[in-house]
Parts: sequence; C-alpha cells; structure tokens
Amino acid sequence: MNYFYADGLAVFMAIVSSLVGSIIVLYSFGYISHYEERNEYYFMVVLFLGSMMGIIFSRNLICLYLFWEITAIACWRLIGFFREKEHVLKADKAFLVTVFGALMMLIGFLYVYEATGSFDLGVIGHSTVPNIAMALILFGILSKSATLPLHTWLPDAGVAPSPVTALLHAAVLVKIGVYVYARLFVATMTLDAVWHTVVPVIAGASALVSAGAAMIDKDMKRIIAYSTISQIGFIFLGLSIGNEVALAGGLLYILMHGMAKAGLFLCAGIIEQSAHTKDITKMGGLIKTMPVTAMAFLICAFSVMGIPPLGGFFSKFLVINGTLQSGHVWIALMFLFGAVMTIIYLFRIFILIFMGQTKVEHPVKEGSFVMLFSVALLAVLSLAGGIFINYPADYVYTTVQQLMGVVK
Amino acid sequence: MNIMLWTLIIPAVAAALVFLLPRRAYYREVFAILVAATNLILVFPLFRKEMLFSFPWGGGWGLEFSLRVYPFASFMILSAAAFALLIALYSASFMKGKDNVSQFYAYFLLTIAQVNGVLLSNNLIMMLFFWEGLLLTLFGFIAIGGKESFKTAVKAFVINGVADICFMAGIALTGFIAGTFTMSGINIPAQGLGSVAFLLLMIGAIGKAGAMPFHSWIPDAAKDAPLPFMAFIPGSIEKIVGIYFLARISLDLFKLDHGSWLSYTMMTIGAVTILAAVMMALVQHDFKKLLSYHAISQVGYMILGIGTCVPVGIIGGLFHMINNALYKDGLFLAGGAVERQTGTTDLNKLGGIGLKMPITFACFLVAAFSISGVPPFNGFFSKELIYDGALERGWIFYGAAALGSFLTAASFLKLGHAAFLGKRDEQYNNIKEVPWTMYLPMIVIAAFCIFFGVYNSYPIYHLIQPVLSNMALDGNILGETHANVTLVIVTIVVLTAAYLNHRYGVKKTGKGIGAVDHIHYAPVLHGIYDKAERKVFDPYDIGLKFINAFSYAAFGVDRATDWVYNVFSVKTANVFSNSIKKAHTGNFSMYILWSLAGMILLAVWIIKTVK
Repeated sequence: MNYFYADGLAVFMAIVSSLVGSIIVLYSFGYISHYEERNEYYFMVVLFLGSMMGIIFSRNLICLYLFWEITAIACWRLIGFFREKEHVLKADKAFLVTVFGALMMLIGFLYVYEATGSFDLGVIGHSTVPNIAMALILFGILSKSATLPLHTWLPDAGVAPSPVTALLHAAVLVKIGVYVYARLFVATMTLDAVWHTVVPVIAGASALVSAGAAMIDKDMKRIIAYSTISQIGFIFLGLSIGNEVALAGGLLYILMHGMAKAGLFLCAGIIEQSAHTKDITKMGGLIKTMPVTAMAFLICAFSVMGIPPLGGFFSKFLVINGTLQSGHVWIALMFLFGAVMTIIYLFRIFILIFMGQTKVEHPVKEGSFVMLFSVALLAVLSLAGGIFINYPADYVYTTVQQLMGVVK
Repeated sequence: MNIMLWTLIIPAVAAALVFLLPRRAYYREVFAILVAATNLILVFPLFRKEMLFSFPWGGGWGLEFSLRVYPFASFMILSAAAFALLIALYSASFMKGKDNVSQFYAYFLLTIAQVNGVLLSNNLIMMLFFWEGLLLTLFGFIAIGGKESFKTAVKAFVINGVADICFMAGIALTGFIAGTFTMSGINIPAQGLGSVAFLLLMIGAIGKAGAMPFHSWIPDAAKDAPLPFMAFIPGSIEKIVGIYFLARISLDLFKLDHGSWLSYTMMTIGAVTILAAVMMALVQHDFKKLLSYHAISQVGYMILGIGTCVPVGIIGGLFHMINNALYKDGLFLAGGAVERQTGTTDLNKLGGIGLKMPITFACFLVAAFSISGVPPFNGFFSKELIYDGALERGWIFYGAAALGSFLTAASFLKLGHAAFLGKRDEQYNNIKEVPWTMYLPMIVIAAFCIFFGVYNSYPIYHLIQPVLSNMALDGNILGETHANVTLVIVTIVVLTAAYLNHRYGVKKTGKGIGAVDHIHYAPVLHGIYDKAERKVFDPYDIGLKFINAFSYAAFGVDRATDWVYNVFSVKTANVFSNSIKKAHTGNFSMYILWSLAGMILLAVWIIKTVK
C-alpha cells in the first residue's frame, strides 16, 4: 500500500504553498514578537503547513480527509489566537462550517468507495463517479475554499493575527479546496458534463457577490478576505470549465494570487499594528508615513487586478481565454464584470487607506524591517512572475499535459 | 540581437536608470532627450522594411515573443518616436522645478518602450501585455500631478481598464476563431462570433484612442496632469496606438465589408464623438480643458474615416491621425508656454499677450488653422478625404462631420481671440517669450503642419498609400478625388459661417470669450450644457452608480447568507435541543418505554432488510 505520491500538480502546489508560507513565517518574526503564546503560534502554523503537505501528497482519500481535519483544528486555534470572546466565536464558526463540509465530503468518499471499491486514487483512476458523491465532495471543497454560499466564515476569520489571515485566506488554506478539486476531478475521476457548467456558475455567483461585498464593507481585512473569495471564483472557473488553457490559467492563478494576496494581507497587518484600527474610513493619508507599505500594497493590488507586467495578468487572461474557447460566453461575461469590480474595489481600499487627509490622530510609523522586507519581497515576486512568465508557464504547461494524460 | 528588440530594451532600462541620476539641473532632461533621440535613430532604418523576429515565451498556448515590422507599423513607430523626441525637448524646460521629475521621465521612457512593443508585436497576447501595461504608466503620469490628481488617475485607470478588459476578451475570442495568436496569420470574416470579436477589439481600440464613451477622464486630466503629458499621451501616443489597431482590425485581421453593421457602428461612434465633444469644447473657459475636448472630438474624425471602409476614407483617417498628433501637440505646447509665462490657463484672465509672445502666437495660429481645416494647412486635406469617404456612405455622416468643422472653427476663433488678442491685463505687461527648448518643438510642429498641407501629396502618396498597399487597398486610391470641388466649396462656406458667427458673438457681448455665448445660452442647449457641466452624462459616474447599486444588492445577499449561519442555525439548534431536553424528565419508567420502542423499531428494520 502506498499512501503518498507526487506528480507535477502536487509538486507545483507544494512549491507554491511552502514559498508563500515561508515568507509569511518570516514576516511573523516581526509581527508576533511582542505577543504571549508565541510557542503555540509557531506550533500551529508549522502543523498547518505540514498537514497541508500531507493533503497535497495524499494518494488515499481517507488519508486526505485526516490531514484536512488537522488543518481545520490548527486553523481553529489560530483564528481564536487572541482569545477574546468575540474571536473565539468566529473561530468556532469557521471550524463548524469547514468540519461540517468535511463530513459531507467523507460521505461522498464513501459513495466513491461504493462505486469503485477503493479509496486509493491510483485504483480509482478515471472511473466515473456518481453525481451524489460529486455533490457531497463539492460541498466540502466549497466550504474549505469559502465559496458562496459557504463563504461567510472567511471574512469573519479576519480577527486572527495578520500573518495567519494571510496564511489562511490568501495563500494556503483556501487553496486546499481548489487543489483537491483539481486532484480529484481533473486529475483522477471523470465527471458528468453538467458539472462543467454548474461549478463555473457557482464560482461566478460567488465572485460577483463577494466583489460587491468588498465594495461596501469598511473593515480592511474583511475587504481583502472578500476579494479572496472573489478571486477563488476565478480559480474554480479555470479548473472546472474542462479546458486545457483554462486549467493552466487556474494553476498559474493559484501561484500569482497566493503571492499578491499574501502581500496585501501582510501590508494590512503592518497598517493595523501602527494605526490601531482596521476601519478604512478612519485612516487616510498613510502614504506619507508608510511609503514602502503603500508601494508594496499598490503593486500587489495591480497583480490581483491582472495588469501587466505583473503576474496576475497572464493567469487572468488564460482563464478568460479558456472559458471563451469552451464556448461559455455568458460565464465569461460574468467574470469580466467581476474583473472590473476587482479594479474598483481595490482602488477604493487603496484610496481610503493611503490617500487624502489622515484621520489617525496618533503618530503612525512604518513597520519593522523584517515585515517590510517580506511585503517588498512579495511585491517583487509578483513583478518577476509576470516578466519571467516563461518559467512558471513552462512548468504548468507540462503539468497540464500530464493531467490531461498526454505525458505519463 | 535584433534591432527591434533594442527599441524595447533601451527605453525600458533607461526608465529604471532615471532614478539613479543626480537630481541636479538637466542631468535627467538631457538623458531623456538622448534616449528619445536614440529611439528615433533605431526605428529610422525600420521604415518601410519587413522583418520578423521571434522566440517562444513560455507555455504552449500561443504565447510567443514575436516582433514584426512591416510598412504600416514602421510608419506608425516612426511617428511615435518623432513625437517622443519633441516632447522630451519641450519637457526639459517645462518640468524644471516641478515635483516628481524623475518619475515623470521614468514613465515617459517606459511609455516609449511599451508603445514600441504594441506597434511591433506580431502576437496578440504579447501586444495585450504592452497595451494593458500602458495603463500603469498612464496612471503614474496623472498621479504625480498634484494632491487632487490621484482621483483623476484612478478614473483614467478604471475607464481604460474597462476598455482593456473588453479588449482582452476580444483577443481571446479572435485567437480562438483564428486558431492562432500570430497576427500575420489572422484574417477572419467579421460575421457571427467574428463580429463579436471585432466589436470587443474595436472597443479596446477606441477606448485607447479616447473616443466616446471612454473619454471623460481626458478633460479631468487636463486640469491635474503635467502638460507635456497631455500633449504626449492623449494628444498623440494613445491616438497612434488606438488608431493603428483600429486600422489593423478593419483592414487586416478581419474581413470587413462596407455594408456591415460594424462599419455603421464605427461611423456612428465617430460622428457622435465629433459633435458631442466639440459642443463641450465650445463653451470651455480654460485653455487646457478646451484643447482636451478637442483631443476627444478629433479622434471622432479618424474613427469616422476608418469606419467608412472605403479607401479614401481610410487614407483620410490615417492622414488625419498624423495631422492631429502634429497640430494637437502644437496647441498643447502653446498652451503650456502660455501657462509657464503667465501662470494661468483661465481664459477670463488671459488676453492680449499675442504680441508679447509672438513665436508662440504664430505657432498657435498655424495649428489652429490646421485643426479648423483651413486650406492650405494639413488638417484641411485630411478632413476633405474623410468627408469624401463619409459622403460615399451617407449624407448624414458627412453632415455631422461638416457641422463638427463649423463648431471647431468657432471654438478656435474664440480661444485665439480670448487668449492672445483683446485687452491685456496689466500684470502681463512684462511677460517674455519662452526659452528655445520650448519654442523649437512648436516651430518644428508648425513647419510640418504647413509642409504636410502644401505638399500634401508627399505624405499621402509616399508615407500612407505605400504602407497600405498590402492591405487589400490595391488600385487607384485617390481616384475619386475629382469630385472634391463641391466639398471644398462647402468647407469654405462652413468656415465663413464660423467667422461670421464669431463676429456676431463678439459684437453682442463685446469680448472674445463671449463669442459663443449665444450658442451656450440658446433655449434647449442651455439646459443640456447645465447638466453636462454637473457631469450628469459622465459614463464613469453613471457606471459607478450602477456598480454601487449592484454592490449593495450583493452585500445584501452576503449578509442574508451570513444570517443563516449566525442566527438561523443557532436558533434551530436551540429549538431542537430544547425539545429533546423536554424528553429527559428523569422518569425511569418513561426511559424504559423509549428503549423498548427503539428496540422494536430496530427489530422491524433488521427483519425487513434480511428478507
């Protein structure tokens, strides 16, 4: 029996998660240094990253489920890290929603077992799964990847320390669901054709609703979290439309979004620590006192918007390109509208935080060196990802060929 | 390495180097001029050549780094390089002592690299990369303008971003229909899905060129952004890029017939843009703002010309693009000279400075005659060609273009009168002419305006016609120009009418700035102008309102979903456990009864399933 194995997809995902994860841990040295319970913090973060690797390399569905739940537990402790009553409630909410989803998924796994006689992905192969199993597993995936209507725990989880939100919301946790989708339904099982429409429509609705919420909300971290939900919609679209180009776009999106969105959350952490507030209507004019943070924020925001020469451009283009190639013009239109919304809400948050007259009364100072270094590094990586697109694109191309069964 | 690659690398690297240069006088200025000159020297040998250079850029989805120069692109790139050099010269004096000079030059040089990239790309995705990249430099240019300019920068970014997102979809669709992203290999019919692709690409192109409804950031930017920017970006570069691509899709990438609804759409957009923008220009009281509305209006002529899909109209549209870039640069530079010497661009304060700044005034006059279409200046000839094409397609388009000319002439009569003639305010008694770095570019431009007018056959036959020869435009392109006599007479009548109108207005109000008040305050127009001044018609504001309404609805959906978790499920759980709790009475015999009932149910189920 072999419980683990690695292929192009798994290695890609492992590289992305550990790259962004390690930058986030580096940033934590500055962020968390003056809090109690640092031991618990680092234990949970490393446990989380470790179990993430477990999910990525799992070959067995039960094994995958176990690691999945470990991430949920680590995430529960981390969200409630400050132990205020309100925070613990939010942590419970996140835990309950994701675990409920996971249990549904477990039932789905049982259906898969019934249909194929094995939990081993190698044995299951390209067999067709019953729709009920697909629906249940999808439920679990959507709850973990915070997609409508199972998304509201993610903005609430913004009460956690900023590196944690970066880790959970941007880079790693929400990508678990997306990755498992790719692992199960793209790389392994064969789906009913109807899912190639249903999943993109859910993703589109999720992308639009959360983009709208990001326009209205006033809490900085909640806005960025809504933006994550919205961008996850694009990733789901890429993976689920059933088209090679879109799939490649979806995978690149995981990389580009992970770097840029982690950058945004880490910038938000710097701002939160020095402005002592998360309400963007009470900030303003911070570009004068924190220029490095502002520039990093802006560059990462441009990458999320998908503006060349930043990396986000290629991933967004490939996803839209693939969608149009598969003939879903209306779904593509929905996402194009979502892309416009992305530009507007990111500018809204940038203007309210950094431009205009400052409303913060006490002196605001720039973050510590290691924190600034981390955000600047993420901004530079976002830029490099666009200019040297050939390296990730070549890798993803090979991976997609492998997934589609061209290269073994 | 290939010469085409150098035109991308040198300006881009130079843009980064600007920040390393000392901030003392003229280091950065001279550097920028040198790079712009190098760029011009590099692109010069490309003129009317054909060359291809490509290597794969990653992945296998048509993403290829592919550069191709052919006559049409070489002509465009040469024009862009020439304007860049003129603006670099001019900026040297204008930007002196301003803030953010390093950033200005960095964006300037980066724009040169990106424009070269757009014009040389032979791969649609790569072109999109440079095309959308222009968003960032545009944003930066406006953002460095001052305190309030950031909002305008965002407005420009969002408006162009919307157009670019349509453009992106258009490129994806085109690549899908054609089966390749290599531009030289695409030639698809503009029907069915092809017409959707065409429409999306057209939106991107006219958005870049600044036609309606993607125009409303330009007048705002005129107020906030540095003036050389206005001359460089909306005045010439974006027109060159946008019109270049509009011509490419109409002639080359798509097979477009005259009768196609797409052609009518383009002509309608062109005609509406001409009229609506010039109506707004007419009533402006600010030098730069008035010019910026003309920057919008003139692009209407180009779109109308290309939209006619007849050779004479297309030639006219392209010729007009070059002419517009010339005289519009000249006008903006004259406006900048006035601003630098007097400190204002408000027409209410200006007046009577024509003799104090004779060179500026003379250059202004030449450019104003050109844009108004007075013979024998260059604007006259390109407009005549467009009229000819428009008349061939329908008198209504011709009528709109002619009315536009009347209003253009009227507004320039007003501008020239209010700024340079009339009574001079005492504080301007001691102003002097601008330094040579500022008037030299103006003189060069004015000279070209006259040259391209008097010797109009040179640009038409030697620059534009040959570069179009491989574009399904074979044959005698200007064969129908003999019919022009009537058109010329109409033009002269229109211009005379504009002059008489001006005399009437000046007589009525007694000053140059009031020359068009009788139009401004005419019964119906007055109300419309009022609303336009309050930005009721600004598509950006309308769009934002729509987005806001949508967002509130979406936020409602989101809150409703959250309610299910935070309230509904909690309450349900409470109700459920409370009712279960009631069953636990502590009564022993009751518990035995529960257990018995359960065992019976279990037994029944087992018996049933075993059978």
